[in-house]
Amino acid sequence: MLEKYREQYINRSIQFTFVDQKGIVVESDEVLFELKTGSSIYEFHPFFESLGAILESPEEEISFHCVHLSLEEDLLITDIKALKKTDGLLLIIYDLTQHYNSYQLATQARNESIIKTELTVIKNLELEERELFKNRFIQNFSHELRNPLTSIISIAKIIGDTELNGGQKKMLDFLMESSDNLKLLLEDILSISMIASGKLKLDVKIFSLYQLLELLEFTYSSKAREKGLEFMLKRNSKIPEFIEGDRLRLFQVLTNLLDNAIKYSESGKVSLELLFNQKRANRISMRFQVTDTGAGIPEESLTTIFESFTRLRSSEKQGGTGLGLSIVNGLLELMGSEIKVDSTLGEGSVFYFDIVLKYPLQLASKSLLKVADKKQAKIKKPKEGVRFKLLLVEDDLAIQTVLFKFLMNTKHFYVDFVDDGDQVMSKIVSEQYDIILMDVKLPNTNGDEITRQIRNFPFKNIKDIPIVGITANAYEENIKSYLNAGMNAVLSKPFEEELLIETIYKFLK
Amino acid sequence: MQSSKKIVVLGHFGVGKTSLIRRFVTDTFSDNYKVTIGVHITKKVVEISPDDTISLILWDLEGTDDIESIRNAYLLGTHGVVFVFDITRPSTFQHLNNDLKIVSSKIPNVPFLVVGNKTDLVAPSELKSVFDENNISVDFFTSAKTGDAVNDLFSKLANQLVSDA
Ligand SMILES: Nc1nc2c(ncn2[C@@H]2O[C@H](COP(=O)(O)OP(=O)(O)OP(=O)(O)O)[C@@H](O)[C@H]2O)c(=O)[nH]1
Ligand SMILES: [Mg+2]
Repeated sequence: MLEKYREQYINRSIQFTFVDQKGIVVESDEVLFELKTGSSIYEFHPFFESLGAILESPEEEISFHCVHLSLEEDLLITDIKALKKTDGLLLIIYDLTQHYNSYQLATQARNESIIKTELTVIKNLELEERELFKNRFIQNFSHELRNPLTSIISIAKIIGDTELNGGQKKMLDFLMESSDNLKLLLEDILSISMIASGKLKLDVKIFSLYQLLELLEFTYSSKAREKGLEFMLKRNSKIPEFIEGDRLRLFQVLTNLLDNAIKYSESGKVSLELLFNQKRANRISMRFQVTDTGAGIPEESLTTIFESFTRLRSSEKQGGTGLGLSIVNGLLELMGSEIKVDSTLGEGSVFYFDIVLKYPLQLASKSLLKVADKKQAKIKKPKEGVRFKLLLVEDDLAIQTVLFKFLMNTKHFYVDFVDDGDQVMSKIVSEQYDIILMDVKLPNTNGDEITRQIRNFPFKNIKDIPIVGITANAYEENIKSYLNAGMNAVLSKPFEEELLIETIYKFLK
Repeated sequence: MQSSKKIVVLGHFGVGKTSLIRRFVTDTFSDNYKVTIGVHITKKVVEISPDDTISLILWDLEGTDDIESIRNAYLLGTHGVVFVFDITRPSTFQHLNNDLKIVSSKIPNVPFLVVGNKTDLVAPSELKSVFDENNISVDFFTSAKTGDAVNDLFSKLANQLVSDA
């Protein structure tokens, strides 16, 4: 019985063929395909053209696996064994079509999935790279713009102090307003790209939330009044005064929302509300909510307003960069919160976010209050007639001029210049200065390196000279590293003159 | 008798070996990927000069990322080699120089062309620099899809085979 099965399942799938040295068929059982005795096996399929090579090889027996013997489809897939005999070759051809077809399916699935994974990874990498490049470009670009802008603003101010006729004064006001707008725009763009590239880190400290709200109330009541709007601030009494968070970034979020609210409201009122959600241990969850009585936002725009560079009604000529909401979105994401909006066309919009922040328990808050107060303390102006020797290290001529004029106007300084990093040391050794005002990026040796040298100097009178840095490179990490180098303070360009002078006074003895 | 030359086409899977042969032999292309297993063998007669032709026996091998594992029986009596990689997938050329070394030790002393395929997917400007930077020397950049440089590739090989003989 088994013989019968053997005949059915094995013999029917194996062909024996004998060819001579020239590839002429001597004998063939036609189990799989027909080969006429006397015909050339080369003609049957190009595979057999390699028989010559088999004959030449030293091996007595050679096996080929998975050879497709039908030219078009996968109808006949075989293993072929070639055995050398004295007067020719014995070919044993095994039909394994079924077996190989299922192997093909498995390999197909495997290869496809590997390729798909690889291409997906590559695509993501490319996207990331492009994004990174874009952000780096934007950041460098904004920095490059800071220097000339600082000069423009400062020089405009100097011109403003001279005799001008009415027309000139008007044009100058316009110039100043335009450059202020440009400065805001630059800062917005920088914020966005820093958020996007993950460079922006939160600076979490304990601060007075009440003070922050007061400041906002003060600023926005007058802004609202100018536009004929009402402004209202409401705070739930359960909200503690001191909380732990990034004051500056929270401020940035709220000012962006409030600016928008005022911008889009033609009449009615704008309100800022601080609602209490819950407290647990030393954490509080609260909701900030900004309501306006503007035109409202159409349903279809609700999802896109938080993306970069969209402006709701682009035809309107309102100020602002259109970046505000996307900054809000990014900053809140950093703080673990999320901006939401409800809006009714013709009635107005409510922007709100829930945020969880730590707050210090009773005892801690009092001493911190003192620290905060101390920091806020007004810096004393020097007495009249007192003059300090200041060394200004700056290579940009325009900024040099502006700073010089400004410092001289205070009548509290004698100012010396150096415009090359390498000249600083010899200058301060030969003269005793009370303070150094120094750009960070300088020819030859940079300001942070010079600072390090000064701080390592063996003589106390030189080693301890206060140094105030100025930089266009206002990344948090850079400023930190300048402070680490030993600078007493670092200001970013374009700087406010008041802030600059206050900072200088602060470090004078 | 017309001389016939055996050419093996090697490389990682999915790089376009089958597609290059199909473009060369039948001047067609398909976007579908059907994995080759084992070996498909086709033949094409090429004219080298007005009164001289050779027939190329093209062995289209199953792709693998482990070149070492290719069965030696497939390579028996090989006259020429085409090694194909996919310019859009670094995994297919990351170890190219090493792969080539393995191939030439398995099949020594035969004409050997290195082909970067799928040029239609990459901007020409990007192409050269990447491979120059990485010190990879490539004989042809082809596209089986557009047919770009496919005939050049096989004619060059055919000519090398004839002048070798
Ligand atoms: N765009 C483009 N796609 C190509 C080109 N050549 C091949 N492809 C595609 O790439 C995939 C793989 O092509 P194949 O020719 O089957 O690759 P292979 O090297 O034979 O793959 P294996 O048989 O698995 O080793 C298919 O989807 C083809 O359509 C090309 O030049 N351009
Ligand atoms: Mg293939």
